Amino acid sequence: MTNTQTTDSPENHPRTAFGARRQFEQAELAAAEEMITNRSFWADARRRFFKNRMAMIGCVFLLAIFLFAIFGGLFAQYNIEEIDWSLLGNVETEGGPRLDNGHWFGVDELGRDLYARVVQGTRVSLMVGFLAGVAAVLIGSCFGAIAGYYGGRTDQIIMAAYNITLSIPYIIFFVVWQAFFGRSVTQMILVMILINWTAGLLITRGQVMTLKNREFVDAARMMGLSDFKIIARHILPNMLWVIVIYTSITIPDAIMMESLVSFLGVGIQEPQTSWGALISEGASTMTYGTLWQLLFPALFFAVNQISLYYIGDGLRDALDPKER
Amino acid sequence: MTLLSVENLSIQFETPDGLVHAVNDVSFQIGRGETQALVGESGSGKSQIALSILGLLAKNARTSGKILYNGRDLLAMSTRELNKIRAKEIAMIFQDPMSSLNPYMTIERQLNESLELHEGLKGDAARQRVIEVMDAVQIPDAKNRLRSYPHEFSGGMRQRIVIAMALLCNPKLILADEPTTALDVTVQAQIMRLLEDIRRDFDTSILLITHDLGVVAGACEDTLVLYSGKVMERAGTRALFAEPQHPYTRGLLRAVPNIHDDDGELHAIPGQPPNTMRALTGCPFAPRCVDAVDACFATVPELTGETRQRACIRPVEELT
Amino acid sequence: MLQYTFRRTIAVLPTILCLIVICFFLMRLAPGGPFTSERPLPPAIMANVLERYGLDQPLYVQLFTYLKNIFFNFDFGPSFAQRDRDVNDIIAAGFPVTLTYGFWSAVFVLVLGIPLGVIAALRQNSFWDYVMTGFAIFSQIFPNFVLAPLMVLTFTLALGLLPGGGWNGGQWEYVVMPAVALGTSYLANVARITRSSLLEVLGSPYIRTARAKGLPERTIMIRHALKPTLLPVISYMSPVFVYMITGSVFIDVFFSTGGIGQSFIDAAYTRDYSVILGLAILYSVLTFVLNLAVDLAYAAIDPKVRSGLK
Repeated sequence: MTNTQTTDSPENHPRTAFGARRQFEQAELAAAEEMITNRSFWADARRRFFKNRMAMIGCVFLLAIFLFAIFGGLFAQYNIEEIDWSLLGNVETEGGPRLDNGHWFGVDELGRDLYARVVQGTRVSLMVGFLAGVAAVLIGSCFGAIAGYYGGRTDQIIMAAYNITLSIPYIIFFVVWQAFFGRSVTQMILVMILINWTAGLLITRGQVMTLKNREFVDAARMMGLSDFKIIARHILPNMLWVIVIYTSITIPDAIMMESLVSFLGVGIQEPQTSWGALISEGASTMTYGTLWQLLFPALFFAVNQISLYYIGDGLRDALDPKER
Repeated sequence: MTLLSVENLSIQFETPDGLVHAVNDVSFQIGRGETQALVGESGSGKSQIALSILGLLAKNARTSGKILYNGRDLLAMSTRELNKIRAKEIAMIFQDPMSSLNPYMTIERQLNESLELHEGLKGDAARQRVIEVMDAVQIPDAKNRLRSYPHEFSGGMRQRIVIAMALLCNPKLILADEPTTALDVTVQAQIMRLLEDIRRDFDTSILLITHDLGVVAGACEDTLVLYSGKVMERAGTRALFAEPQHPYTRGLLRAVPNIHDDDGELHAIPGQPPNTMRALTGCPFAPRCVDAVDACFATVPELTGETRQRACIRPVEELT
Repeated sequence: MLQYTFRRTIAVLPTILCLIVICFFLMRLAPGGPFTSERPLPPAIMANVLERYGLDQPLYVQLFTYLKNIFFNFDFGPSFAQRDRDVNDIIAAGFPVTLTYGFWSAVFVLVLGIPLGVIAALRQNSFWDYVMTGFAIFSQIFPNFVLAPLMVLTFTLALGLLPGGGWNGGQWEYVVMPAVALGTSYLANVARITRSSLLEVLGSPYIRTARAKGLPERTIMIRHALKPTLLPVISYMSPVFVYMITGSVFIDVFFSTGGIGQSFIDAAYTRDYSVILGLAILYSVLTFVLNLAVDLAYAAIDPKVRSGLK
């Protein structure tokens, strides 16, 4: 400690004490210090993310949709299966959104309360999207890490599975699986994970391949840490940002996938519903002029997707070193 | 007679992090049939000078000063005017032969397109000329390799193709940007001899850009030493080697491994290359200079002298 | 090239065989079947039906017969749910429809997407650059199953310009909306990939070499930059084709085009195993063929890949 202090002291500069050289060195020092503070990666990323206005607006909307899914049911005047017989014959003229009869979003073609159904659909869509999205990316990046870390035969097998999965249109999975096992939310999430297990695999594999040759991993290996510990403690934390970015991409993808298959009728089953199923019902009746049946679920779907899009975009800007 | 005259050339790049000062107030001339060397470490701005002569700088570059070619300012020319000069009058040999050839086109097409453009040669006539030049740069079996793609050649062969490309239209000036870095020593010597032959036979001028003092020693009459985009010293090559008068040049020469040296040690220049994000306020080499005094950090040294020039405020006698 | 195609075809056979076997057993072992409907059939009739479809045989015999019929007779067997139709009939009727608008959809994506990307790259931050970004967000909010209803709402119900469904022998009015609804999601991505690819190519040393030859910008773009710019777009087309196949199932259902997607979903409802299996195989083969086409197109441009194929 004392050593460094003496070298820093003015007496040790043979020719000059204070002057232009001193100023120059101080400027260099300040620049170096700035770089060091930049190293606190997550704090920096957080700051950048919070500065991104579109991402913050996205967060607000997403939060609102979440609150709607959780507490929206409290304000529903009807449950999702209850048929309002007073409206059944005249849905086109009387079934629209109204405040006086408690059908905030109107009723569907069977006279069921659309508000209650949209709350229910939002719950299912978000649950499927978020659970399946997060799980899929976790599984994908684990396989990616394993493939990248071990290489060789392990890598070949995982990559072969990866390529096969990607080259099968996912609708086939759904149709075959549903025909065999039936349709429930749990099934849905399982198939979704099965299809999306490749999410983030390629990028984590690449990351691990470069990381595993870095000095700190060598050092860990020399200290005798097991492969598992090396991956978990030294490699995963260094590519957490990749996982975060991929999760933010996979979730809206999963929501879209779920909606599409529910639209086709091979997803969520009645009386359960989801955004896709609701949009499908709305689309099939729009020729009768009952547009609210299409527009309410479509609006929720669209707002959710665009919020997630901008959040993902903000995360990428904040976390990806290449973007800076 | 002066062919090219660079006057007070400065180049800056606008980047998201601020202005990068790549070249600062550089001047030099090249006469007909002369060879001028531009020596410096990587990042000293030497390649940027060559690119600016052909108007090939990146879009975010800002230039000031003049580059007069036969009395016309190249920096002020439109792309259309420059296109008549490029390859035809001034050709460039690019440094990285791996990436400066188009991987998706045959060698023949890449070579004959400038003949077609500038000389109006097509078909067999163009092919004859292409084979002739490929023979000249000693690419074996040229006739049968015309339909090959760049990846089918070795690094050395690719470098020769790049050189052949520059020779096609018999340019008056060749900008050779590290023409031999990718090659091993014997091939290096061949290539340098080839350039020398071309210079003699066609009275071509050459601007040789390199970090390799060994290459310069045998090939050039005049040498310009650059550091951080600024000229440190300019002198006849022989004089410069015999009696370097700038601390940076001395450091550079000392860093060249020499079998006649007794101690057998490598003498690297201590410290890091400078930060080009700031405009010069003093001598750019001062932070690494063993002879620097306080004043060196405060004033930008002028290039002074007649037959040989140096930019250093300290008298030659006082240098260590 | 031919040899490569042949080798690839041989290499994919095990994968398809695996798919067939797995699907076959999944189907046969599933609880319930096409004939366990609401009203149970009398045992005698049931046995009759089972015999007619060969379902009374042991499973491995069934599988063997099935495979034999596919490979030697190109016969996917009879439909279980539609009594007088073969799976072959269903494919023959529906596949040309799906293929037709799928083809136009791919044309639509490439013919609009690539130029849009080029313009956006050449005029960064211009109007067209923003149009492209807008498209990217648009396709995120309006995937085909939201876009299609909205298109029908606009062009059929409000404006009365285009028919809202049907096929009518493939008249152009009937093809437009399916093709556009199927392709729009990928248009933005194609444009985005073209843009970043072109920007990267234009910054590469070999383009600088071309500039140093004094070539006019137009020649540089067409002769030097076009091919390498297209390469990433071409490789992107292989996942796009896979997604489009899924999308086509939706398009067939929504626009009632009579394509195979409708039969696929119907079969899932009625548990018409032979149809599900036959169409799953067809979709897999189609994916393989499209992927092969992408690879061959790639090899046609990239000499390095081409010499690797030999």
